[in-house]
Amino acid sequence: MIQVFRSASLEAVRKLPDLLAMLLAICWLSIGAYAAQLNVPATLPAGSGLSIPTSGRGHATLYLVGPGTAIKRQVQLGQNIEISPDDLKNAGRYVISLDGGSATFFVTAAAVSSITFLARPSRVPAETPNVIFGTVFVFDKYHNLVLQPAHVKFDVSSNGASVTRTEITKNGVAFVKLDSSKKEGPAQFIASSGNASMRRVVQEVASDPCSIRMSAQPDKNGILVQTDPIHDCAGNPVPDGTIVTFTLTDAKGKSTVDARIKRGVAEAQLPSSDGATISVASGVVVGNEIQWRER
Amino acid sequence: MKPLRLILTAAFLVWAANVLAEKNLDPVLAAGGPAVALNVENATPRKVEDTTRMAMARDYSAAWATMAEALEQNRPELLGANFIGDAKATLTDTIDAQRRSNLHQHFIDKGHNVEVVFYSPEGSAIELHDTAQLELQLLDGSKLVHSEDTTVHYVVLLTAAENSWNVRLLQAVPGF
Repeated sequence: MIQVFRSASLEAVRKLPDLLAMLLAICWLSIGAYAAQLNVPATLPAGSGLSIPTSGRGHATLYLVGPGTAIKRQVQLGQNIEISPDDLKNAGRYVISLDGGSATFFVTAAAVSSITFLARPSRVPAETPNVIFGTVFVFDKYHNLVLQPAHVKFDVSSNGASVTRTEITKNGVAFVKLDSSKKEGPAQFIASSGNASMRRVVQEVASDPCSIRMSAQPDKNGILVQTDPIHDCAGNPVPDGTIVTFTLTDAKGKSTVDARIKRGVAEAQLPSSDGATISVASGVVVGNEIQWRER
Repeated sequence: MKPLRLILTAAFLVWAANVLAEKNLDPVLAAGGPAVALNVENATPRKVEDTTRMAMARDYSAAWATMAEALEQNRPELLGANFIGDAKATLTDTIDAQRRSNLHQHFIDKGHNVEVVFYSPEGSAIELHDTAQLELQLLDGSKLVHSEDTTVHYVVLLTAAENSWNVRLLQAVPGF
């Protein structure tokens, strides 16, 4: 009996390396099974679902955390784990974990579906180069920034004339600087990419005066000075409210009156002073001078 | 011994400042926020002014600090005004989902190397490329589910508010 027990023990000792090898193989296969369970793609487009095959038996806890998502749920090993498109709609980095094994993957933006259009400024002087700025950010239908290059068309039309420029986005953004048109009026500024389009209105107003001409006449309170209608160099009337400065210089010094353009002309009253010099200016534009003589 | 240490410390700080100035980097620490080294050399089409650069780095650092707190404590109200628009909506959704699942995230922020890649002509929007060094942990209650020490790339949109820069988009990407 003892002999039988001894031979069995010796047999077991002889087979120990095989047993250990088997044990290691089981462990290795188990690890392999978990690695297979987390075999996820490195990237996938936003809004596409994910089906992850698993092996093994029993239940395990699945964790998925990413932008806008944090899921914990029990899953059945040996079956596919389904992640819904709704849980993978936000572009970014996701961590998935299944009972100790983890993996990361990225969701990237889908195709361009909408744009954000910044148009500045809302009022620009007419006939001025590089004065209208347009910036477009392109987004997919889940509001993810689309980083793949996309064509963006910018179009400014005013008084029947139109300027179009096409740019390609870089890092999800495209921008343009455009000239204003010669004539004043509302300009339609449209940006579009694919089916997405946005419109802005840029008010083109007269530029700085091209020249200023004034006349003077005696008035019961002194001297009445008045400009001719003031236009920019493209012939647009300079907007009402633009300030015109009249200056009277005589032996006593200087008198200055700021007047706003009203219905295209500016006027002011100055103190009467024989031999005075009267000048007029608006911004950087200087008009004619008058030597005043009392009659 | 103490004066020597002081001199050595001062010398090191001067050297570090020079190195950072040469690289046009500004390490900015918001109150309790992570270090943000900001490179504005490649900003286009508009150059970034010094005051803007400092404000941007300060506000971006503050945004990360508040985000870390909000994700750890599952309190969306901590996001405050640092995040707006889609960035705030997405983070709020994450926190709400974490709260429902009894999950939270803890991260040790080891700093950000940030490059300005776009500054809009009119000055109202900025796009950044951020390479962040993070130690991330996902916890189920007090049980550690996942832990990693990693580098994550982010595309970030900041928009100008009255006197601050707010994060409008924070999107992790595989690389730049």
